[in-house]
Amino acid sequence: MSLRGVWQLQKLIVSFCDWGGSSRGIRAFMESQLPAFREKNPQLEVVTELNRGYHPFLKGLYKNKNERVVCVKNMSPEDILQSATRLRNSQGRKVVKLKTRHVTKHPSVQGTWATDLKM
Amino acid sequence: MANRRCFQTLTRYFHSIKTPAPLSQILAPTSAHALRQTLTPKLSHHIFENKFNLYPRSTLFSRHFSSRDTDKDEDDDEDDENEEQWESGSEDETAILSAEDKETEAAEIGYKVIGPLQQPDRVFKPYEPVFAVVQIGSHQFKVSNGDCIYTERLKYCDVNDKLILNKVLMLGSKTQTVIGRPILPDAAVHAVVEEHALDAKVIIFKKKRRKNYRRTKGHRQELTKLRITDIQGIEKPEKITPLKTDKKEKLAVGAS
Repeated sequence: MSLRGVWQLQKLIVSFCDWGGSSRGIRAFMESQLPAFREKNPQLEVVTELNRGYHPFLKGLYKNKNERVVCVKNMSPEDILQSATRLRNSQGRKVVKLKTRHVTKHPSVQGTWATDLKM
Repeated sequence: MANRRCFQTLTRYFHSIKTPAPLSQILAPTSAHALRQTLTPKLSHHIFENKFNLYPRSTLFSRHFSSRDTDKDEDDDEDDENEEQWESGSEDETAILSAEDKETEAAEIGYKVIGPLQQPDRVFKPYEPVFAVVQIGSHQFKVSNGDCIYTERLKYCDVNDKLILNKVLMLGSKTQTVIGRPILPDAAVHAVVEEHALDAKVIIFKKKRRKNYRRTKGHRQELTKLRITDIQGIEKPEKITPLKTDKKEKLAVGAS
């Protein structure tokens, strides 16, 4: 996401194993789609990490110092790309149920109505 | 205010002048009786009719927006025509949507994608005391400059894209209010896509008594966060902006 034009995801860590079967998808992803993804998002710092013997994951570090980790074991490259774009498109806030879908600082322009208001 | 109203009625009048020509062409095969009926209803209705004759694929959906109670009588004649058009349209329909199709689909929901936000664009302005009621899909929002709204996921737009929301139902400022019937054709609300995210998880739990039946299913709705940048179509009072600039100037003077 970008808040008023400022991208919120700063760093994306791609952790994988070069041997394990659950990392097959992410290895294909790093071969085929990751360079294009990197090119498309020049504002983003993409780091690949080799973690042998662990399931692969994507970790997003946000500007508000939050981090979000997505496990991508046994996923196909397309699914991994989708979860990576989802990390990029999100704001990094905590996932809570929205109280309202309309957030405003100025709730009324013409004044709030009251019972004693004469029109 | 009176001037504005005059202007609007004028524009409506021009619309009415424009519309009969294509309408009469389209309705030529039908009886003269039906023609008279179609020409009598209100103007807003005319505009809609015109629209869905232009976009044959969208006929079934845009009907929802037109005022139903007026066109009940002519439904029989109209339906035949529309169905024919629809069938002819569906023949050349392909699985891959062209840019035009995307645009029409977006227009039905009530937005239009302009393009990505560029670095030098200064679209984020301070608050102006103006509001608009805008419709996106089946939701209506009362927005003003700088608000953010969460809509259902909007297709074919990326984060940081600029949008125009063109289904404006109402505009208002401190002193005046403009009401559309049902929409204001020459008003527009500008917005920027900020986020495509998933809402919190909703758990769907089904249970039948005494039958050992339980099903649990999770669902996360896709949402799009929009920030409103500008409202066009109403004159804005110039009170607030000069005050702020004055303050800034004072600060600058104080600093120097």
